[in-house]
Amino acid sequence: MDMSPYRNLFVSESREHLRAFSELIVKLEQGSGSREDMYALFRSAHSLKGMAASMGYGDIAELSHTIEDLLDRVRKEELIFDTGIADLLLEGADLLEVMIADVSTELQTARDTGDLARRLATYRPAAAGGVPEFVADVKSPASYSPSPATGERDSHDDAPQTVRVRTEVLDNLINITGELITNKHRLLTVGKELESAPLDEATVELSRLLRDLHSEIVLVRLIPFAAVADRFPRVVRDLAKKIGKEVVFEVEGKEIELDRGILDELVDPLVHILRNAVDHALETPAEREACGKPSPGKIRLVVRRQKDQVVVVVEDDGRGMDPARLVDLAIEKGLVGPEAGRLMAPGEAFMLTCLPGFSTAREVTGVSGRGVGMDAVRSTIQTLGGNMAIESELGKGSRFILRLPLTIAIINVLLVRLSLIAVAIPVTNVQRTLELKRSLIYKRGRQALFDLDGEQLPLLSLNRILGFPHGDAGELLPLFVCELKGRRVGLVVDSFIGQQEIFVKPLGRPLASMKGLGGGAVLGNGEVVFILDVANLL
Amino acid sequence: MGHKVLLVDDSLFMRNMLRGIFESEGHEIVAEAADGVEAVRKYRDFRPDITTMDIVMPAKNGIEALREIRAIDGNACVIMCSAVGQESLMNAAQQAGASDFILKPFNTERVREVIRRVAGD
Repeated sequence: MDMSPYRNLFVSESREHLRAFSELIVKLEQGSGSREDMYALFRSAHSLKGMAASMGYGDIAELSHTIEDLLDRVRKEELIFDTGIADLLLEGADLLEVMIADVSTELQTARDTGDLARRLATYRPAAAGGVPEFVADVKSPASYSPSPATGERDSHDDAPQTVRVRTEVLDNLINITGELITNKHRLLTVGKELESAPLDEATVELSRLLRDLHSEIVLVRLIPFAAVADRFPRVVRDLAKKIGKEVVFEVEGKEIELDRGILDELVDPLVHILRNAVDHALETPAEREACGKPSPGKIRLVVRRQKDQVVVVVEDDGRGMDPARLVDLAIEKGLVGPEAGRLMAPGEAFMLTCLPGFSTAREVTGVSGRGVGMDAVRSTIQTLGGNMAIESELGKGSRFILRLPLTIAIINVLLVRLSLIAVAIPVTNVQRTLELKRSLIYKRGRQALFDLDGEQLPLLSLNRILGFPHGDAGELLPLFVCELKGRRVGLVVDSFIGQQEIFVKPLGRPLASMKGLGGGAVLGNGEVVFILDVANLL
Repeated sequence: MGHKVLLVDDSLFMRNMLRGIFESEGHEIVAEAADGVEAVRKYRDFRPDITTMDIVMPAKNGIEALREIRAIDGNACVIMCSAVGQESLMNAAQQAGASDFILKPFNTERVREVIRRVAGD
């Protein structure tokens, strides 16, 4: 039988099993797993074995089989699920992952499994220990699948029908919708010129339908955070173990749904923030006890929906950051002037850690250790049309708050005119727009400033930053307030064109590598605009 | 003459493979189920001529599902799918009224043989 049509499905389903696998192992190792988790783990290994054998992948089937056997011994309570077993299983899962990657790329290499199979088959606990937690709530004798909670059973009865769709199809759908929206704006422009009532009517109806279509497609593209969440416990666990820290890690809001494009991009930044939290934010168990905290540190990853945004928060109960110390460091490194530094609010000071080159250095580790690659994190979040904030309290812990749109490709922008061209700024990056009387501008040194809500903000010219000549400025200067290098600033433009939804297109080379450009779009009148990545302008 | 078939397996991959084999034999897959609870419900709804039943599944295992299906319909034709090394389970399945067995990994020819046998062709 020709098995090639089944290969993609084999790869995707195996990967689903492996992801669940790692998460369950960590859960069981921490003692927070249930008996059902143990069975789920066993079933995963069992399914993997069956699928691999059917496909004729003998090595994958064999390794899964040894893993299944070890789990069978745990299931029958011949062994206790301890760290040694967790290590072996995770090692096995890693190896399986590589083997499945080989399958997906059609590599015909035979992976050397070393003596893993032997170690799995002959595992003995290092020392007889206590009873693992999942055995503690035994209600039924061992069987292949215990009865589930009745609630779970009910949910099966009205489970909606689902279909699997290739992700490219979803990408195509949103692309076509984006093109349609661009076209709608073209029709609107034509309609204005023609002053035709029937045409206007038709375009209004078209707009409504397109909005409906867009929101339906956005829904189709949404997948729950759970799709990526299972890899985080492993990241936290492995690092904590390596550096001798104790961490209780919780994930909340796995059911919250996000655009799959955003979700994919979100993984690396979150891994980064979590690693930082384990590595630097949390104290060692000894340090924690010395200041009266429970010895395991706590890290929570919380996802929740807020209107049309998704908020992802990573919080720890570690040592926190000292804003004054961060400002001093930034001044020392010449990243901010002493003047500007002194004016910084704590929230701005924490964002200094996201400046490129703020530090990967030892000296920061003494304070908080933030800063390693945080610039990359922040820039990814902003490219997704989101933004990021940091809260921290010395001695109590820190919170990283990421706000993300539900969908990416179509975003709302503020269109502004600079000299002869129009540029777009994602509205998520615009805190305010206003027109400022010239007489309200004052100077400190060479820096122009203005007051807003009792705060002194630097005033910069977007024309100058981008190298355009200034337009004819009147008595009122149009400007928008945004965050630039961790600092709120006012950016003066020639004029506001208005707010509009646009369909973002990625820039090709060589433009894609230019700093400060976040993409391009075509307006209804055919004009091409660049979308500014404000945070990386300077 | 094609028969109506219900496929029960928690693996989509396995269901797809079986679907391929059954369809090549001219049978119609009327429904699929991914666990024992869904299997019993779909059996009741679709009344298939043939059901294939995986054993190791979440929510309710294949043997329990088999028992419930046989309680609904004493003549239900259920083919159990099990892996090598599950002989004790196969005994239990036989007692619960399994019509036949398919061993995993599937051998296409063997599966066809079993299908033809239970379908009475």
